[in-house]
Parts: sequence; structure tokens; C-alpha cells
Amino acid sequence: MTPPVRILGFVNHIAPVSDIANEISRALEWGVDAIVAQGTGSDWGPYWLGSGEQPGAAQAHNIEPYVEAALEHGIPFIFSFGIAGANTHLDQCLRDFDDLCERRGWSPRIAVVRSEVDADFLAGHIDAGAEVTAAYSDSGLETLERSTVEQAERIVALIGPEPVQAALRNDVDGVITGRALDIGLFMALPMMRGIPKAIAAHAGKMLECGGLALEPGDSGRAIWASLDDTGFEVRALTPKARASIRSLVSHTFYERSHPTLEPNPGGTLDLTEATYTETPLGVRCEGAQWRSAPYTVLLEGARRVGHRAICFLGVREPELLRQIRGWTDAGEDAVRTAPRFAEEAASGRLLISTRVYGLDGVLGSLEPNTHVTGHEAGVMVDVVAATPELAKEAAYYAFIRLFIGPYPDRKTTAGNAAAPLMPIVIPASSVYEFSIYHLLPLDDPLAIAEISVERFPRLAEEVIR
Amino acid sequence: MNLYECAAIIRSKNAGPFTVTIDLFFPDQDSFELARGSSLLTVPGVAKAYGIDQSSVVGIYWDERILAGKVSVRRWSTCNDPWCPDLFGAHLHTPLAQGELTPQREGAS
Repeated sequence: MTPPVRILGFVNHIAPVSDIANEISRALEWGVDAIVAQGTGSDWGPYWLGSGEQPGAAQAHNIEPYVEAALEHGIPFIFSFGIAGANTHLDQCLRDFDDLCERRGWSPRIAVVRSEVDADFLAGHIDAGAEVTAAYSDSGLETLERSTVEQAERIVALIGPEPVQAALRNDVDGVITGRALDIGLFMALPMMRGIPKAIAAHAGKMLECGGLALEPGDSGRAIWASLDDTGFEVRALTPKARASIRSLVSHTFYERSHPTLEPNPGGTLDLTEATYTETPLGVRCEGAQWRSAPYTVLLEGARRVGHRAICFLGVREPELLRQIRGWTDAGEDAVRTAPRFAEEAASGRLLISTRVYGLDGVLGSLEPNTHVTGHEAGVMVDVVAATPELAKEAAYYAFIRLFIGPYPDRKTTAGNAAAPLMPIVIPASSVYEFSIYHLLPLDDPLAIAEISVERFPRLAEEVIR
Repeated sequence: MNLYECAAIIRSKNAGPFTVTIDLFFPDQDSFELARGSSLLTVPGVAKAYGIDQSSVVGIYWDERILAGKVSVRRWSTCNDPWCPDLFGAHLHTPLAQGELTPQREGAS
């Protein structure tokens, strides 16, 4: 019999609820062997990976009450940091963690696990004949080539539990990783203690979004589970929420295309035969299976496709609402055929689209309605071009054509639409795409992780700026 | 009755960058059976509701224990499209939700 392994789980890119200290106290009463939280993901799209920026989730701030409990009680913690999770994102979070440790007088020993993939390493793999195939056949991505690797701004790997386990073996207070598989963070310690992989993975799936798997769901809350040889029990840590069969099974649906099969590094978690039984304080989960497969890690890479500039117009004129698409099409065409833009537009270095909120702003080409049915509509001119200057110039040109351009039966000859913003054109950002969303076969799961052990807060000269 | 009226919760979200999944939770067994037996919640029905190819419908799944269904569809516009209008995929339930729940026998023609 393997002794139970108790996990306190939460999400570190969501601010904790105001009474989180009560939840942590409850968990400590029941026992906690590891505190685990994910803080990376691709749900925000390729922008963050490409730009190196972060949404501003204050991750090092959110973990404070959990780290306090962990250090006080000698409980290891395992966090992934930085949303996109490349080195620049991780380093920003680690600097915030330095500040937190400094302020609180903490001096934890931390294993930092970097999972940004070196382009030369990956290109070398490809040159050596590794077939790195698209993770999804519907992604439109071809088998990875060296040129695609070279064009990417940054590449990260979703490391599995193995590098986290290697990091934990360094007698550390905690492990902080870059981009990582969420459930891998949760699987690491239970598997080291002898919990079967299928059970560790199933528990990870239930815990990875913190209190979102409870009823009512709230990722600002924590969640607790006790794992053993045959399954695990999940509990809420507050009377304000509860773990129910419905809440847990519905959580297995969340953000997954298949309700019971989940491909992971080294195999698929199969919940087809999983059972859920109510207990006095929560739900007992059993019956998960692990279908072994060759070890692969998911790679994410982002490439810049251009620079965006936008402008807004409001339309309330009935005649213009009746023919709004004809009017916006004419505005787009005016840009594409203007002598100063024609060559750029023809070569694909200048793209323009007008989104009409009130008509097809949400569904785009799939919108069945062909006319504005309300009394007003919002128009967003959206330009993506090879340079920020070209994007701004084209967006302004489009605005002027829409503002003063004639349309059939026009009465509004002084100005066609309402302008809410000055300056008219907003330079938005660079635009990125996932040029890499591929599976890298690995003989050694540790090959793409770089582990270093550091004492925080780090001295100023040690910190990567 | 349409799906929107029948379901208690209809939640749409990305399942990875290239797929959207719509989770359906029903208030009672009758509602669940009505939806599961409908021609709307079949591969041809879902494809028709969105105006997409049947090959873009990844799967339709049911879990009677929690009176839930799940529809997964390849995204017709993803985060790799500079004009993607719904980056989290949170609003893509709407064409499906307004579909009528006609029994499969009657709707099979």
C-alpha cells in the first residue's frame, strides 16, 4: 500500500478569492504533501509567445498565501509561470518572485526549470532526421522544417512530469517551471511516491483549474485531493463550494475536444471506464487508464506576420445601415487600389478587413444574417501590414474614404459616420501566428528541460534582466 | 423547442488553438433525451447549423450520468487568422443554440 499523497491545487494566473487563507488552513488540517498550480497556457493565442509580453496576471503576487503556508510547513510547491512560458516570461515572474521573497524575508531554495527550446537544438534534430509532425491534422501546419524553426520568435515545449521530478530531487523548497503541461505538474510528486500514472494524471485533470472543477466553479478558489493506489478523493475547501459528480465530470469536458481521451506525453489518459462516487466530504474518482505511446512533447512557436493598426466608426444613418457592406467593401477596395498601396496589397504585405458589429462582427463569414437589423452598427477597420507605418497609413486612408466617400442615395454629404476616437488610428500591436504546434519525439523527456537550483531572492548580479 | 431553450448551460470554448468545443448541460432527463435524439445534434445537423463541411465536425459525445453533451468542431477561423473574431471561442455556440430539436426520424429526410 502506497501512503496517500495529498495535493492542494490552484491556478496562479488568477487572483485568489479574499478568504483563501481559510481554504489553505482547511487543507493543512487534512494534510498537504505538495502545493501545485499552473500558470502557463496557449488559450491566449500566439501573441504573448511572439511578443515576449505578459497579460499582467500578477502571478508572483497570487502565490503569496500559498508560498507562506508551504514554507511554514515544509511542503514543496510546484508552479509553472509566465503564461506563454518562454524564458523572458519566466524571468519576469522570477524577478517578481525575488521581490516577494525580499519583502517577506523568505529565502527559499528553488529549482527553476526552463522549457524554451533552442532553435539550433531543434534544427539539429530535424537535420538528423527527426520527423516533427503537426500536433493536429486540422492545424494547416506541415511537418516541421528548419526554415520554420528559424523564423519563429520563440519556441517552447510543454514539459511533462519527468523534468519536474528531476527538479524535486534537488532537496528544494519548490519548483518553478516555464511552459509545462498542466497535469504534468500535478503528476510529478504522486508518481515519485508510487501512485499509478493513470491515477496521478486523472487527479491532475481534476485539479489543474483549481476551484473551477467545483460547484459553483471559481478558479480563484483552491481544491484538494488525496491520491492512493486505486484512486483519489476530491474535496472543496470551503462551505461556499462543493465537489460533486456533476461538477467533476463536467470539468473533464472543459477545453477538451474529447470528453474521455486526452493525448499526453508518453500516452493517452483514458477516462472511458472512470467512476465517480460521492463521499461525505467530496467525490471518489477511480478507473482511469493510461494507454502508453511513444514519448512526444508539444512544441509551440510563434512567428510575426505583421503589424496591426485599427480605427473605429459608428453608423446610425438608416440608408448607410441598409448598404453597409457595400460601403465598407468600397473603402477596402479604395485602399487596395490606391497607387501608394496597390503593390503592397497585391503582394500580401498589406491586408485590410472591416468588421461590422451589429452585422457579422462575431461570426464573420458564417453569419447567416445579411443585413443590419438594429438601429446602429460599429465598424472596426483592421489593417495588418509589413510595417507599423504602412498599417497606420492604410488605416487612416480607409477611414477617410469611409468618412467622405460617396455611396448610392447618400444624404449625409458632410460626413458619413461618427468617429469616437482621436487620434483616429490606433497602432495596436504586432500580429503573430502559431507557426509551430508540433509534436517532438524524445527518447529522453529531460532533453528539452534546463534545471538550475537557485536561492531566492537572488543577488542583483545573478538576475537576468 | 430549440437547443438554447432546452439546455441549462451552453458553454463554448477553444479546445486547443484549432478546435472549439461546445458543452451542453441539461436540466432533466427529458431535455437530455430530446437533445440526444435530435437531428440537430448529429454530424450532418451540426455541419448544417454552422454551414461547414461534415468533415469539420470532430465529434458529438454524450454523458448520461451528468445529463451532458459535447460538440467539437474544427475552427473555421483560428488564432492564426489575423481576422479571427473570437479568440477564446467563447461565442461560437450561437448558430448551434438556435437550431430546432427535431427528432431524428422526422428530420432524417
